[in-house]
Amino acid sequence: MLSYIGKRILAIIPIFLFAAFLSFAMIHLSPVDPAEVYLTAAHIHPTEELLAEVRHEFGLDRPLFVQYVNSLIKISRLDFGTSYITKEPVWREVAQRMPATLQLAFSSIILAVLISVPIGFLSAVYKNGIIDHVTRLLAFIGASIPQFWLGYLLVYFLSVKLDLLPVQGRGTWAHLVLPSFTLALGLIAIYSRLLRTSVLEQMQEPYVLYARARGIKEKVIMGKHVLKIAISPMITGLGMNLGKLLSGTIIVEVVFSWPGFGRYFVDSILNRDIPVIQCYVLLAACLFIVCNLIVDLLQMAMDPRISRKGRTGL
Amino acid sequence: MFVSKGKSLLIMALIIATALAGCSKDNAAQGTAAGSVQTDKTITVSWPRDIGTMNPHVYNPSQLIAQSMIYEPLVSYKEGGKLEPHLAESWDISKDGKEYTFKLRKNVKFSDGTDFNAAVVKKNFDAIMKNIKNHSWLGFLNVLDKTEAVDEHTFKMTLKQPYYPTVQELSVVRPVRFLGEAGFPDDGDTSKVVKKPVGTGPWMLSEYKKDEYAEFIPNPNYWGDKPKINKLVIKVIPDGETRVLAFEKKELDLIYGEGVISMDAFKQLKASGKYDTSLSEPIATREVLMNTSKDILSDLRVRLALHHGFNKQAMVDGITSGLEEKADNILSKNLPYTNIDVKPLEYNVDKAKAYLEEAGWKLPAGKTVREKDGKPLELELLYEKSDQVQKPMAETLQAEWGAIGVKLNIKSLEITEHVKRLRAADFDLYFWSNYGAPYDPHSFINIAATNSYGISESLANLPMKKELDQQINEAFLTTDESKRQQLYSSILKTLQEQATFLPISYLKKTAVYQKDVKGFVFPSNRDDNPFLGLDKANK
Repeated sequence: MLSYIGKRILAIIPIFLFAAFLSFAMIHLSPVDPAEVYLTAAHIHPTEELLAEVRHEFGLDRPLFVQYVNSLIKISRLDFGTSYITKEPVWREVAQRMPATLQLAFSSIILAVLISVPIGFLSAVYKNGIIDHVTRLLAFIGASIPQFWLGYLLVYFLSVKLDLLPVQGRGTWAHLVLPSFTLALGLIAIYSRLLRTSVLEQMQEPYVLYARARGIKEKVIMGKHVLKIAISPMITGLGMNLGKLLSGTIIVEVVFSWPGFGRYFVDSILNRDIPVIQCYVLLAACLFIVCNLIVDLLQMAMDPRISRKGRTGL
Repeated sequence: MFVSKGKSLLIMALIIATALAGCSKDNAAQGTAAGSVQTDKTITVSWPRDIGTMNPHVYNPSQLIAQSMIYEPLVSYKEGGKLEPHLAESWDISKDGKEYTFKLRKNVKFSDGTDFNAAVVKKNFDAIMKNIKNHSWLGFLNVLDKTEAVDEHTFKMTLKQPYYPTVQELSVVRPVRFLGEAGFPDDGDTSKVVKKPVGTGPWMLSEYKKDEYAEFIPNPNYWGDKPKINKLVIKVIPDGETRVLAFEKKELDLIYGEGVISMDAFKQLKASGKYDTSLSEPIATREVLMNTSKDILSDLRVRLALHHGFNKQAMVDGITSGLEEKADNILSKNLPYTNIDVKPLEYNVDKAKAYLEEAGWKLPAGKTVREKDGKPLELELLYEKSDQVQKPMAETLQAEWGAIGVKLNIKSLEITEHVKRLRAADFDLYFWSNYGAPYDPHSFINIAATNSYGISESLANLPMKKELDQQINEAFLTTDESKRQQLYSSILKTLQEQATFLPISYLKKTAVYQKDVKGFVFPSNRDDNPFLGLDKANK
């Protein structure tokens, strides 16, 4: 098992290098000249001499390969350069805003799990009943409604019309409710259906029949056995959806003026703040890699058969 | 199973209840605070971005609106381009136009209680000049030779050559406003950081949370009329729709700025009758720049045909819902030296067609696009991708000019690419607008004569370009006011007649405020803040 984990961690390196290369290439393929962006942001009129000077300063006049290796060395020291706009180290800017984004992401996940587990489970148990229909409708809405629109709708009805919650900002728990729910609804749609299918599948398994034959109470069978096993695909789903969550925070942070990393990223795109964009792309890649790894390891812990497969497979 | 369901429902209910409790507690706290201090008047406004560092000598990401609350200029720009004393009580300009002597206002103190005097003015100028590269856009700094503190209340600047807009340029928000002694870093170089934001302005920063809000309170040492409210809060709300919703929920008292909310939202808020709204004087002119260095557009008759070939009034009304005003002048008349009467090139399709015929662009039978020597009359108009107004205007022009036989291709570009194409003069037609007060009209004529901004290049094929450049240079150098007016009139008249700029509309700022907000006036300086005169009626 340890060697499996070791191999998985080693496999991160080429993936990361590829991601780093992609983000690097993106910058060089775009028609925007980093030196020009830098000067414009600094309010300096970009003459040819100045552009050349800045390109030299940034090392943009060196061969591409040298630039790539240099950027890798810097990244390994968590040095993502300095923001063109704020002139602050990018890593510090990102680290400052991370807590707000993480808070939002975590509260959304918790909310999503808290809501989708009971409704998913109940809609399987009472298949084709009222709960099932309502959940299906909710899932349909949750999966198809654009997040920014949902955000506005919620704000309009709950904040402006009913005056229950603040429209925007961060500070109290009240501020967290609407953005978290906006982010969570998409996840709820997926998880509740995922769990429903999974529970229905498990209910067909022989062990359920056997348990019933043994005279174990239905509640115990469902709660203790079926749910525990059925929840496993949800964990995979959770891991895979972290990316969706991350892209979701970008929109939600803008709609709710949430002072997080996503909003900072949007500003950076508008300002062509290239070091920040690069940092974001790499961070997102890392997050995906790490989440996938964690999900795999969790799955393995829950179902040891995977580990055996892993050992023979790798 | 039902227990678990019950539990989770309970937890959900608890979460929501705590949230609601938190919310109502918040309101209650605000209520008592308002009750205990009778004169508590707080006005909350929004701004799309964080206010940035409150350093008077830096640009992005510091926001002009907040910088102008803390720091003051020597001279302030008032309605119609009048320059009035501010921190300088009066000024003398030597006959040769090179020496500027300012008598500073007495008894002015910084917010920390220290004196404002010539020494600190000089210290600020030294810090600015240390990084002249960052400020080279500001004309007079490029010709500034030396500065001296003659005595405590007299400050003198000497220029290398006469430069008439000097006093006007001193009214800009950055970088020529003044930081108190205590704000300077040890090496005196303010280009990166200041120790604390100490200014002479009416406001002081009292609380600040990056990306969330900034709170300002009145400066107790302020020399002029003090603010009538006790606190001004700038909330950072990046999204326009959210801003409107927050305003409707009364989380905001005022929405102010350029394009901070959509035109639809403005109209809707206005129509509701629940709020007060106002529109500013023109702050700049939205126009289409025609590149004369391109073959087709080098012909004055084609340019005139394009002017006559569309219904400007209908387009402006239709697209901006009357929030912008139809423009005939390249520069709006509320700027200095720009009050010239021009003959509007009115909507006249027949005239437009006649000009094109005369220029040799004939419509072959059965075709919709005119041709000359087998070449179709095809032009490209660039517009900025994210601009809500440029796109529909471009589409309207496409349809309107199509009717006179001009094929207009419209192309959207990201802002950086957009600006790059302008600088390289790599376009036929380009949406452009001037800088507004206090930068114009001199910044406008400056870029009309200086290469690498894209404007001068696109005027290159005008037969009188050389003469025009000469007149522009002369306008900067002359010390004779009436001669300058004459030069400006001539320059602007030539540009109008040559039809390279197609003025469409005057841009305006919008403001929407709650009924209890009183004393709102738009500042004449485009970058200044409107907060000083604000008051809030007691409920």
